[in-house]
Amino acid sequence: MRSAMQGRIIEVLVAAGESVGAGDELMVIESMKMELPVQAPIAGAVRQVFVSVGDQVLDGTVLMVLE
Amino acid sequence: MTAIENEGREAAQSRGWEPELQELKQRRQFAAKMGGEEGIARQHAQGKLTVRERIDQLADPGSFAEFMGLMGSAEYVDGKLERITPKAAVTGFCQLNGRKAILNGGDFTVRGGSGGGSHGGLGMELPASQRALEWRVPYVRLLDAAGGSVRSFEELGRTYLPDGNSFTAPDVQLLRAVPVVSAVLGSVAGLPAVNACLSHFNVMVKGTSQLFPGGPPVVKAALGYDVTKEELGGYEMHTAQSGVIDNLAESEAEALGMIRSFLSYLPSNVWEMAPRLGCGDEPARREERLLSIIPRNRRRAYNARHIVEDVVDRESFFEIAPGYGRARITGLARLHGYPVGVMANNPLFGAATDVAAGEKVMRLIQLCDTFHIPLISFADEPGFMVGVESERAGIERAGARLVMVTCDSQMPWATVVVNQLYGVAGQCHHRPSGMFQRYAWPSANWGSMHIEGGVAAAYRREIETSADPAAKLAEIEGRLKAIASPFRTAEATGQDVIDPRDTRRLLCAFVEDAQPILRSQLGQTAVPYRP
Repeated sequence: MRSAMQGRIIEVLVAAGESVGAGDELMVIESMKMELPVQAPIAGAVRQVFVSVGDQVLDGTVLMVLE
Repeated sequence: MTAIENEGREAAQSRGWEPELQELKQRRQFAAKMGGEEGIARQHAQGKLTVRERIDQLADPGSFAEFMGLMGSAEYVDGKLERITPKAAVTGFCQLNGRKAILNGGDFTVRGGSGGGSHGGLGMELPASQRALEWRVPYVRLLDAAGGSVRSFEELGRTYLPDGNSFTAPDVQLLRAVPVVSAVLGSVAGLPAVNACLSHFNVMVKGTSQLFPGGPPVVKAALGYDVTKEELGGYEMHTAQSGVIDNLAESEAEALGMIRSFLSYLPSNVWEMAPRLGCGDEPARREERLLSIIPRNRRRAYNARHIVEDVVDRESFFEIAPGYGRARITGLARLHGYPVGVMANNPLFGAATDVAAGEKVMRLIQLCDTFHIPLISFADEPGFMVGVESERAGIERAGARLVMVTCDSQMPWATVVVNQLYGVAGQCHHRPSGMFQRYAWPSANWGSMHIEGGVAAAYRREIETSADPAAKLAEIEGRLKAIASPFRTAEATGQDVIDPRDTRRLLCAFVEDAQPILRSQLGQTAVPYRP
């Protein structure tokens, strides 16, 4: 899953191995003074999380793998 | 005269013009073969349908009535017709969703769809575009053509002046008269590439379509570098970066479906009302989600598409240009069966209006004005986008154009302020004339400027001269926020503040009320549609 915007990770709510439902909030990115929730597009298991709180991300940065 | 000859003459007489009908049948068969089996095979090998297959899929079954099908270059041997290569396009009437339209499909199997044929000359049949103008029916271009070719110079034995505006003039007039759609279904260059944008809506197919005035060989000759067709003018360039193409289809079938969908929201021409669908979705439907969709934490983004989906008729939202100018969602939808234009700021992409989002908004406003359908705006407007990139893109001139398009529009317009409404971008959710209605949700907040940032500028002296500047700033901001409730504004201006769950019912009533106003506005708008 990729970031849709440039910004900073301010919350990471899941870890590798967890199961999530479609629509669940996975992490929050702060961009342009707004908090943008990143939601699971499908139900699945978190394979790997590549970012942590405080990381800067760009448009397209890979955040995590969900399968 | 022998008996046999006499008999032959009589037999011929009773047959009437049957022999000529046989010749007609033969010539039609040549036309149906398009550029021949090799060309057709190549088309399929590239993952593309032929023009006749596309027409078959697009039109209501059995409704295609071809015209000018006998045009082409013929080969005669000893005075007998050997073969005809048809013209590089297939044109005709058809029904789309039960309504008449005119199709003009480029035939890539014939000379790569390029020019050829004679333009003008005495006695020419009305070209397809002119016919659509005179018949006042929607016009659909299935573009799959390379434009002009230098081969034609050799065929003619001379060059010619590129006076294409002579036969492009109807395409310009069409934009003010009937819905025009262009589908880019192959590598399209030259005039066809510009025709892609002489439309109210266009679509291209992922991977098999590209668009450019000149392709890689021309770029190499002019600028000296190598680039692939896909890099130069593929979907990533045109549906996401340039915004030249509105919608991206995964397949030709999907592209053709989008054409039908788009046209279903619009009338056949500007002199008629948009068609209302029978609707099973009650205006009184209330969605609980709307009451809490705007987060109380003001810094929290939300999915504005959910607002649109919860308010308009179920499944009726057709998004236009989802990949471009993503700060604004734009599209067509229905409210109680009546077509409407819809737009909503998208906080997931910053919500602030940049040049790209502004382009989409201007085209939507014009589309609604031209075809006489109401516009609904769900406003969460922080203002025009700031920053060096926005400046470089010319946000001020874009803003000026947006103001003009907003103020020039006449169709009924309803704005629902769901959250922010600030600045000059905010004023472009207000149409200061005609039938205009505004509702505000309790979460609404507005002003010429944001309080944060605005205080630091306006109260600079008080803050700087205070003992504790940070505390002073917070105190002044607190004072201003205390008077920022939309209810206070309503005391003075009469602004309607509503329960978000009532939005659908109120907008359905607005759209119903708008119908007689729209009817009185039928015809061509004073301000022409600008693509």
